[in-house]
Amino acid sequence: MNPVRRFFDGLHPHVSPGGKYEKLYAFYESIETVFFAPLERTRRLPAVRDSLDVKRYMFLVIVALIPHLCFGIYNAGYFARMASGLSLAPVPVVLTGLWLVMPMVIVTYVVGFFWEILFATIRKHEISEGLFVTCMLFPLTLPPATPLWQVALGISFGIVIGKEIFGGTGRNFLNPALTARAFLYFAYPVSLSGDNVWSVLVGGAERYVDGYTAATPLSVAASTTDGQTVEAALEALGYSPLELFFGLYPGSVGGTTTFLSIVGAIFMIVLGIASWRTILGGVLGVLATAYFLNFIAGPDSMPFLSLNPYYHLLIGGSAFALVYMTTDPVSGTHMNGVKWFYGFMCGLLTVLIRVFNPAFPEGVGLAILFMNCFNPLLDYIEVKIRTRRRVPNV
Amino acid sequence: MALNLPRQHLRRMKKIRNRKGYDLNISGAPSDALATLSVPATVAALPERIPFIKPRLRVKTGDPVQVGSILYEDKTDPRIVFASPGGGVVGDIVFGPRRVIREIVIALDQEETAVTFPALTETDLDGISRDDLVARLLEGGVWPLLRELPFRKIASPDSRPPSIIVPLDAREPFRPSPERYLTEETHPLFVFGLNVLKRLSDKLIVFTDPRRKGICRTFKNELTHTIEGRYPADDPGVLLYHLRRGPEDNRAWFIDGQDLLLLAGFLRRGTLPTERLFVVGGSGVAERQHVRSRLGAPLKHLVLAEPACPEPRYVVGGVLRGYRGNPEGHAGLYETAVNVLPEATERDFLNLFRPGFNKPTRSRTFVSAIKNVPMAMDTNVNGGRRACIACGYCSDVCPVDILPQMTLKSILAEEVEEYLAHGLLDCVECGLCSYVCPSKIELVETFRQTKFEYHKEQVS
Ligand code: SF4
Ligand code: SF4
Repeated sequence: MNPVRRFFDGLHPHVSPGGKYEKLYAFYESIETVFFAPLERTRRLPAVRDSLDVKRYMFLVIVALIPHLCFGIYNAGYFARMASGLSLAPVPVVLTGLWLVMPMVIVTYVVGFFWEILFATIRKHEISEGLFVTCMLFPLTLPPATPLWQVALGISFGIVIGKEIFGGTGRNFLNPALTARAFLYFAYPVSLSGDNVWSVLVGGAERYVDGYTAATPLSVAASTTDGQTVEAALEALGYSPLELFFGLYPGSVGGTTTFLSIVGAIFMIVLGIASWRTILGGVLGVLATAYFLNFIAGPDSMPFLSLNPYYHLLIGGSAFALVYMTTDPVSGTHMNGVKWFYGFMCGLLTVLIRVFNPAFPEGVGLAILFMNCFNPLLDYIEVKIRTRRRVPNV
Repeated sequence: MALNLPRQHLRRMKKIRNRKGYDLNISGAPSDALATLSVPATVAALPERIPFIKPRLRVKTGDPVQVGSILYEDKTDPRIVFASPGGGVVGDIVFGPRRVIREIVIALDQEETAVTFPALTETDLDGISRDDLVARLLEGGVWPLLRELPFRKIASPDSRPPSIIVPLDAREPFRPSPERYLTEETHPLFVFGLNVLKRLSDKLIVFTDPRRKGICRTFKNELTHTIEGRYPADDPGVLLYHLRRGPEDNRAWFIDGQDLLLLAGFLRRGTLPTERLFVVGGSGVAERQHVRSRLGAPLKHLVLAEPACPEPRYVVGGVLRGYRGNPEGHAGLYETAVNVLPEATERDFLNLFRPGFNKPTRSRTFVSAIKNVPMAMDTNVNGGRRACIACGYCSDVCPVDILPQMTLKSILAEEVEEYLAHGLLDCVECGLCSYVCPSKIELVETFRQTKFEYHKEQVS
């Protein structure tokens, strides 16, 4: 027999009802079905069912995120070594990156699973695979320098407050990963914002090597003053549009790369697991708003207003969030029509927060969480309109 | 309306497109071949399978019966009676839990005799009053073939329906192709049947899929509509959803093409026709074809060959709407198909990480999505039950634009007004929402149950 099968069969009696660890059955089921397709015969109509289940659905989102993780490992390692004045050869860069990023990922999963199992046991429901995605998304939004205890606290908040107190997966209207991120942002503003959190010092270095500026493109854009364009200021620091596109600058672990976000968006849209309406709406929202700002910008207004609209998709985490955060099916709008509006508003608010609110350099997370709050209302409106059009049958 | 117009007007069939729905990519399609089976030893009536009635037996074990003898009646309306599909002796009467009557088995005589009514010619039909016609259909036990939307229960003999719909199509895997029973030969009888229906309602709707060229040709004068699209475009409820203009159109009646031939044959000859065309399909059986047999035939008799899988499941009806049949049992009054599926037995190792070349799915999450060949399906639910992830697949397929995920929520919250407004009663019970749901939520089952409960409250 398959040794993996033997392993699970050995565990099974202990987690079944009456077993010593029966409370952990939900966890057992969750992991066991990663290895073996579930076997349950239909007892109700219809007799046959589609091969797709939630596990595969969510697993494919993770597949889309893996390149971001790999890139994030490289990027974090690269800038940490650069800031510390160490060699930038690929192997040490990757090793440093792994050393920086993997603990965050592992802590997120361990803590995330802890809460999910706890609630699954209390509420007697299954472990929803949405958790796997949440736990992958969250570390990708963090600066590489985030202390692990904050990582643990953040994901706890995201899962407990962002999801479980509303009744668990399917009932939450906030995106749990973003809730976690926003919590850390407000709770620990010092360690999670400013210019010095994005590159970690490694190898015993005590401060950044001379000439290394850790400023993120967003803070550059916000702080550019009169007489200079943001594009030029970015260029001066070595951030060419191409580098911005590929995300080769200090920033959150996996969220800087627009290139991979586009790849991921195409992947998920082709597979039908993310809404193209939401993503497209978001992109249009960003561009339309930025163009509008260009239009109203006078000679004396701040240069950020005149920034080429496409730059808004290249800098910061907007592309990443518009692709992976707005499209969370549960916290996004459920009805197709309002998906456009929801996406568009996320894009619009992102740009407005970036440009007009100096307190928040990146606006996309807050924009999405803010819109999440309106989604039940948006859905309600669309459902009402659609049901009103029906010929009644009572 | 359409009915009272002269024939030439009927020729202008109205075309309808059904944009939603889904055609399953399932292997095991039956061939067009038609085998005529020998007479089975037994046939049966299955009161349990007639929804919404309260059956009361009119026979007991050992009673001699003729073809057309009354076996049982509906307690709530004793005018509605059910005729015996065979002549012989009442054998077993099989009861289920809570004394539901599962089967009334008839052991057939060598020479069967039949209850005889006066035969009705085309001219007689013009002379007979509507009430007398209804009475004759009731008496003969063929009235139950007429059913009423939205609950799909037996039509109420006292009402005059806004329309009667006759679907001449079969899109569910697998049901008999109408070409097999609608031929040049049966055409006159079919027309007679339509004339009967015209006496019952002012509006008659006869439709098929435009791709059924043979039907479109032979029945061009009778067809009023064509509807193109995926399953369940063949359903009368879907057509009604596209056609209705106001709430008064909702309570339409419908009768299946084969059942109409049966009803017409009864009036024309005065005796109940007992022949029934079935289809045997599904990847669990090797010999898949159309078979000519008897109403209420035993399932084992219809499925000639031994099933081709270790654990076969007999699905009576199509694979989406059919129920799990007892292989030792019989086919019910409305049944026309037996599909044999292999029961799920295997747990694929590392399934999650495989591209899935032979995983049937409506989604695009397996490589199989790009190849368009029928794939074998077993009875696996293919996943654990989860909370709704709001993927929206269910509303993407729903042929009558219900939002199943939203409707389910209002059902769980017991918001009656709300789920009715969502169109619960329009649900044609096609099963597609449950089929596609990745969270494996029993949507259609909940809808059926809720409709049933709602109906119970309405009549009480
Ligand atoms: S709600 Fe009813 S009609 Fe719609 S897909 Fe489900 S079963 Fe079919
Ligand atoms: S298909 Fe299932 S999971 Fe998806 S929206 Fe419908 S009910 Fe929810």
